Amino acid sequence: MSSSSKFRQSQPTQPASPHTPQQQLRSGNTSFASNTSPGSSFRNEDDAIIFEMGARWLRAGFEGNSSPACVVGFGPEESRRVGDYRGWIEGSAGARPPPQPVDAEDWAREYELWRPDLRETDLGLIEDKIERVFREVYNQHLLTDAGTSRLVLVMPSLMPHPLLSSLLSTLFSRWRFPSITLLPSAPLSATAAGLRSALMVDIGWAETTVTGLYEYREVVTKRSTRAMKAVLQELARLLGGLADEKKDSPEGISVGFKYCEEIACRLSWCNPNSQVDDNKFQNKKVTIPSPNNPEQEYIEVPFSLFADPVEKVIFAPGISESELDDEEKSIPLLIYNTLLSLPPDARGTCMSRMVFVGGGARIPGLRQRLMREVSQLVDQHGWSPLRGKAVERQRQRLQELRISPRTNGEESPAVKPKDATSPSDSERPDPSQAVPEIDFVEQKLRRQNKDTPTPIQGVFREIESLGAWAGASLMTGLKVRGMVEIEREKFLQHGLAGGTRDSEHPVPDRRSGLRAGDRSSWTLAGWA
Amino acid sequence: MSRPFPYTYVSCPCADTPVPDPARKRRSRESPQKQTPERTEAAKEVDIPKPQQTDDENGQTDDEEQTFDPRSPRSNFSLYPPEQLLYCEDCHQIKCSRCITEEIVSWYCPNCLFETPSSMVKTDGNRCGRNCFNCPSCTAPLAVSTIENVTGNGAQQGPWVLSCGYCMWTTLDIGIKFDKPTNIRNQLQKMTDATAQPAFDTRSRQGSRAFGDLKSPLSTLTSVADGQAAARDGGEGQSASNEDTPENTLSNTDSRFAALKSFYRTQISETSNSPNDPMGSDFGFSSPGALNRLMSLYASSSRLSGLYGGNKKSKSKPPVMREALNASEGLRIAPEDEENAVIERLASEGGWDSVASIEQRSQQSPEVRFVDELLPLPVLLRTKRAKRCKSCKHILVKPETKPQSTRFRIRLIALSYIPLPTLRPLTLPSSSSSAPSTPSPDLNALSPLRPVHVLLTLKNHMFDPVRITLATPSVTPGRVASKVTVLCPQFDIGANSDVWDEALQGASAPITGDPRLTGLRGHEKTPEAGKVWDKGRNWTTVVLEVIPGTLPGSEADTSNIGNESGDDKAVSGSTQDQDVLEIPVFVHMEWDAEAQLEQQNVGKASKPDDLVARELAYWMVLGVGKIQASL
Repeated sequence: MSSSSKFRQSQPTQPASPHTPQQQLRSGNTSFASNTSPGSSFRNEDDAIIFEMGARWLRAGFEGNSSPACVVGFGPEESRRVGDYRGWIEGSAGARPPPQPVDAEDWAREYELWRPDLRETDLGLIEDKIERVFREVYNQHLLTDAGTSRLVLVMPSLMPHPLLSSLLSTLFSRWRFPSITLLPSAPLSATAAGLRSALMVDIGWAETTVTGLYEYREVVTKRSTRAMKAVLQELARLLGGLADEKKDSPEGISVGFKYCEEIACRLSWCNPNSQVDDNKFQNKKVTIPSPNNPEQEYIEVPFSLFADPVEKVIFAPGISESELDDEEKSIPLLIYNTLLSLPPDARGTCMSRMVFVGGGARIPGLRQRLMREVSQLVDQHGWSPLRGKAVERQRQRLQELRISPRTNGEESPAVKPKDATSPSDSERPDPSQAVPEIDFVEQKLRRQNKDTPTPIQGVFREIESLGAWAGASLMTGLKVRGMVEIEREKFLQHGLAGGTRDSEHPVPDRRSGLRAGDRSSWTLAGWA
Repeated sequence: MSRPFPYTYVSCPCADTPVPDPARKRRSRESPQKQTPERTEAAKEVDIPKPQQTDDENGQTDDEEQTFDPRSPRSNFSLYPPEQLLYCEDCHQIKCSRCITEEIVSWYCPNCLFETPSSMVKTDGNRCGRNCFNCPSCTAPLAVSTIENVTGNGAQQGPWVLSCGYCMWTTLDIGIKFDKPTNIRNQLQKMTDATAQPAFDTRSRQGSRAFGDLKSPLSTLTSVADGQAAARDGGEGQSASNEDTPENTLSNTDSRFAALKSFYRTQISETSNSPNDPMGSDFGFSSPGALNRLMSLYASSSRLSGLYGGNKKSKSKPPVMREALNASEGLRIAPEDEENAVIERLASEGGWDSVASIEQRSQQSPEVRFVDELLPLPVLLRTKRAKRCKSCKHILVKPETKPQSTRFRIRLIALSYIPLPTLRPLTLPSSSSSAPSTPSPDLNALSPLRPVHVLLTLKNHMFDPVRITLATPSVTPGRVASKVTVLCPQFDIGANSDVWDEALQGASAPITGDPRLTGLRGHEKTPEAGKVWDKGRNWTTVVLEVIPGTLPGSEADTSNIGNESGDDKAVSGSTQDQDVLEIPVFVHMEWDAEAQLEQQNVGKASKPDDLVARELAYWMVLGVGKIQASL
């Protein structure tokens, strides 16, 4: 580490070199390219503008900035008519309770741009919303002319094609964007954490996605509907029950969405320890605005109430694994299953690079708790998908024979450094605590490249990420080009169908990255 | 229901032309877009998941008779108050904010009305670089004031703070005082940098300052104090870069981002110096890359090559970028007990008020959670924008550049071309048989099933007389079916001629513009089918007879209540305003305009008084009132 870091620091002190490294990687395989001035290979001197789209929020800003210039939501206030100032006159729509209890799905629907199920979605409405939100973001926050500079869209790597098509055609037909680059959010979040491989846990709105990422490639993705929407709905039911004990309808929600979201954002928390007996907060009370009349009345609520929805939705306590459907696995289980389906090498690398992003990652204590639960699962089951009594018996027999069943999960247990500060390291009996077998190949390899630091693997460790937006900003700022760069003319000719379905599309290597010319076809890569 | 009743909205015709998605086979009626060639099978596949959607829109484009539905959630995006619409004289079409493109003319701060030069906008982070700040707690503008009670001789002294006159928030709440009352933004920037990020690499300090710092290295206008401060900063940074930063100090987003950026930059430059990079073969020998390559050709031992490019392993293996390893490279391992403290704080301090709300948080940097972490917000700049027609690129609006000026060089507003619709209830004398006995119906509580007469006045602003045809569905769309009849659907409106013409014409057309007088005249009048109610120089009034429908679920409604839940899902977005009575009216106007000097006319050498027939058609929505639930 020390030697490499010395080189790293010495690197920028060579400004007198004939060409900057930046330029070198831009220049193509033609000799004249290296002699041109650094700027000449860029078509557009304007900073690219980066949008991160989600179902609830949109982040927008300029490349090279550490945080987006604005974050806007999609609510009923945003889809009012021009000149409709109701939100200002009467207060925001979702603050007050609805006149009668509404269905939990309808309750949230107005606040989403899209939902994964497109069957009852009006794509035209989505186009309208996208057009308006982009226009307003440009006019109010970015303060540049829309359509002049390159656009980078950060998207979840799984997007329904109709949605993607709507989005792109709206943008292309409304403004004159020269090209739109699509970047997948999971690798960008890893980039923004400084990692190449990671286990991304995105606790989002409609669903939680766990992505095993190895060398920037999405290897495994598993998802669960246990996410923030469910948490919010659960909290709303609780608050509705507080409002009046008599009318306890389990289905309908009788508190305002905005009000509920506000409370969830401010006060929801999660006990970092899985034991529920933590009496510290048992008799703590907090005062919150009353659900019935949020502007004037306040009520006192036990603080533990705000941990319950998170607990119930994310961890699904008291429900056995076999009861849960595939799409509603509890999050610790989901993480564990994702790790399990990774190849052992990748698993070892990913488990010590767990990254939590998304709105749910902001709930204090939740990440620690998840880490703890996952390592408990590992303790319980090891890295084996086999469950059941027979397996248990066999395992016990094997343990009596002192053969660790977990060694298959640890390809290189020797490399576990002691200084790794893992939150779970101290408490649990680490599966890799078994006496490391001395692998002579490993040792030899390590002798050979002493200067490269050995990567940490095989222990649970959580890394913080700056988020997908910041990752895209980093990438774009470094002039790294995305795989999916959709040019205006080509899209307008053929639409999404114009993209080659070829998964083996020639990778636009950054070293051969001449701007034009080599782009006779474009690909949707992962989105195809 | 956005505005007080009665109101009128005009729907921009662009709503009828859907977004031309090249993948969907769709004809866009009026867009000049060239016909897309036939799609392949793949495109059809895309169509399949949304057959209903496509059918709907095709129906709308093919079928002109489609009734505009003011309660569909999409119509919210195409309805505008008439005064907000523009008109393109070349396309002869109404233009809304969706069918124009905008170009920024100037940037200015809405607080101090200073114009910001375009070169400074980006470096200032789109925010005012002076002393304009908004309260992070309530968004009211902040004022610079002293803490000390200045007594006598006006010695402007002492530490300064920003204080909010509305919610009494001051920067003292977050422990910030300023040394001087000017250049607050710089001072604040320095303070937040220093507090949030104790000591770090010089590079990252520079980087983290990118957000809105005036003190760019190129700026020659820095004051002496600034220069000194910069020198101090530089010294600090250099001394700090030698010692290893302890982990977890890099909590600040900005500094972490800068660290990551420099890390990646180094990695890219290191890895692209690879000896067997096939693309590197054309650089001259003078470049270090070439030297590296030669060196590694002869001495492939890791010792020599390691001297140059960093972590190169061997010739056969190009070096790969590695991941960040420590805090100085931007890695941040989640601390273990950080969040326990947060939870305890949430529980202890009476939670609610100490935590920033979503709205407050959305303006701040992402890691802010508590109220005492809120920083004053420099005022977001605004822009003056020129607007062009999207299809023909003609300028529709061009404001004057100066922020203080509210004048426009060019402004083609639609109201100079389309008649201004106004609506008011007809008050009939109690003797009248057809109308309710109430003198003027309360528009906020229309009783269902009881006919109401409203007067629709269309006022022409053009210098040509206009023939108008109104059409409306006999029953309003939506779940509350109100019956609407336009008593006189076809009429003319006079030209907007000289006001004196009317006066000079004598008493034949008295001053009928006054609504009160019209009311008086109504004594002799009853609404009659096929007759214009009233007419003036450049306006005409017709009567609409409206029978408000019954609200579903109300006591007046006897029909199917059981079916509601099924319907609810389909129109869930619009249930909120279902009691609002809105009438879609299709307006078709025809007039003979004087041919302007257009190319074709010039070519034909037409007579100067040549008239060209023009027509314009659009939907408008009349908001009549709110229907009462009970009879």
